[in-house]
Amino acid sequence: MMRSPGLACSVLRMALWAFTLASLCGLAYGQALQAIPPLSARIIDTTATLKTEQVQAIEARLRAFEVARGTQIVVLMVPTTAPEDIADFTQRVGDAWKIGRRDIGDGLLLIVAKNDRTLRIAPAKALEGAIPDLAARQVIDRTIVPRFREGDFAGGIDAGLSRLMALIAGEALPEPRGAGGTARFASDWTDALVLLLVAIPVIARRLANWFGRKLACLLTGLGAGVLTWAAGAGVILILLSVPLAVLWGLIATMAVWRVHPGRQHGSWGNPNGRSGTWSEGGFRSGGGGNFGGGGASGRW
Amino acid sequence: MSLARSLRAVPIFMMALLSLLLGGCGYNDFQRLDEQTKAAWSEVLNQYQRRADLVPNLVATVKGEASFEQETLTRVVEARARATAIQVTPETLNDPQALQRFQEAQGSLGSALSRLLAVSESYPTLKSNQGFQDLRVQIEGTENRITVARNRYIQAVQQYNTLARSFPSNLTALALNYSIKPNLSVNNEAQLSQPPAVDFQKK
Repeated sequence: MMRSPGLACSVLRMALWAFTLASLCGLAYGQALQAIPPLSARIIDTTATLKTEQVQAIEARLRAFEVARGTQIVVLMVPTTAPEDIADFTQRVGDAWKIGRRDIGDGLLLIVAKNDRTLRIAPAKALEGAIPDLAARQVIDRTIVPRFREGDFAGGIDAGLSRLMALIAGEALPEPRGAGGTARFASDWTDALVLLLVAIPVIARRLANWFGRKLACLLTGLGAGVLTWAAGAGVILILLSVPLAVLWGLIATMAVWRVHPGRQHGSWGNPNGRSGTWSEGGFRSGGGGNFGGGGASGRW
Repeated sequence: MSLARSLRAVPIFMMALLSLLLGGCGYNDFQRLDEQTKAAWSEVLNQYQRRADLVPNLVATVKGEASFEQETLTRVVEARARATAIQVTPETLNDPQALQRFQEAQGSLGSALSRLLAVSESYPTLKSNQGFQDLRVQIEGTENRITVARNRYIQAVQQYNTLARSFPSNLTALALNYSIKPNLSVNNEAQLSQPPAVDFQKK
C-alpha cells in the first residue's frame, strides 16, 4: 500500500529524466551534419528556388550531355551546409553519390548553398585535369556569381554549366558506350544473363496467355536466339541459347508457378509503377567517381 | 608405384590446404589492406609535395610586396625547408616517432601558410594581384586535397588495425608479426581541447 505512491513517483522521475535526456539528445542532433538528399535526378533543388520548367530544362541539358559525352554532372541546391563548410559537405556528397562512369569516374558536382551564399564546383579525380581548381574558380567568379548576385539562379547555373561542359568537351575522355540498348546490353554479360533469367519467364508467361504454352516457349527460344545473335555472340552460343531458353520458358510456365496470374497481369499493365518513373528520370550514378577534394568554392 | 604417386601428391595437397587456411584466416586481407594503406599514404605524400611545390611561387609573389610582414614570410620559408627535409620512407609509417616528426613539420607549414594568406588580406595590392589570387586558389585546393587524402589514410589504417586486432585474424597477425600501424592525429591536440581565449582589449 505504501509502496505504490513511491513507485509512481520514481516512475515519474525516470520519465522526467528520459525526457530531459531525449531533449538534450535533440539539441545535440541539432548540431548534426546535414543529411545528403537521395540521388533522384541530375538537378536537385531542396530550396524550391528554381521553377519546374527551369529544372526540367537543366535536367534535359545534363541528360543530353551524359548521352553525348558520358560525363555525369549533378547540380544540388540546398539551403545551408552548416555546421560544415561547403567543401566538407561537397566531399561527403561526392563520397556518397560517387557520380561518374564506373570505369572512368568522370563525375562533376555543382553545389549551391543558397542561404550561406556559397557555392562549389567539385570535379572527380578523372576530371581534375579538364577542370583544374583555377578554371573552376574562374567559372564561379566570372560566370556564375554575377548572375547569382542579381538573383538569377537558373541563369547562373545554366551559364556555369555551359562553361564547364566546354571544359570537359576539351578533354579526351572515352566515348560513351553505344547509344542503343542492344550495344550496351552486349557489353556486359552478367547483366545479360540476369536479364535473360528474369525476362524469359515473364515473356514466356505473357506469350503463353496468347499462343498457348508450347508455342510461347518456342517463340521465347527464338527470341533469345535472335537476341544473342544481335549481341554479337558466336554460333555455338546462339545454338545453345535457344534450347536453354525454351527449357527455361517451359519451367517458368509450369502450372505450379502460375498461382498469381492476376497480380502478374496488374503489374504488367500499370504505367505508374517503378518502370514509369525510371524511364522518366532514368538517372543512376555510375558509381565510379572518386572525389579527392579538388575544385573551388566561391561566394556571392 | 601408386604409393610413390600418392606421396608426390602430398605437397600439392598441403599447399592447397595451406592456401585455404591462409585465405580463411585473413592472410589475403592483410595483404590487401596493407597495400591500401601504402597507396593512401602515397596520396598523402603526393598532396603534401604539391603544396611544397606551390610555396616558392607564392613566396616569390609576396616578396614583390615591399612592405609585407617579413616575419610571416620567413616563417613560411623555414617551415617549408623543414617539411621537405624530412625523408619519408615506408618504414616511417611503422615508426610512431618519425610519423610524429613528419606531421609536426607539415603542420607548421600548414599554419604558417594559413597565417600568410590571412595577413595578405590587409594588402590591397596583393588582393588585386591576379597571380597571387590564382596561387591562393591552388593552395586552398591543395589543402582540401590534403584533408581528403589524410582522411582516407586514417580510414585505411583503421581497417588494417581492426583486422590486426580482431579474432581470429589477430592470430595470423601474431604468427606473421603484423603489428598495428600508428595513425595520423592532429599535432596540437592539447591546444585544441582548450577553449580559445577571446580578448577584445586593445593592447
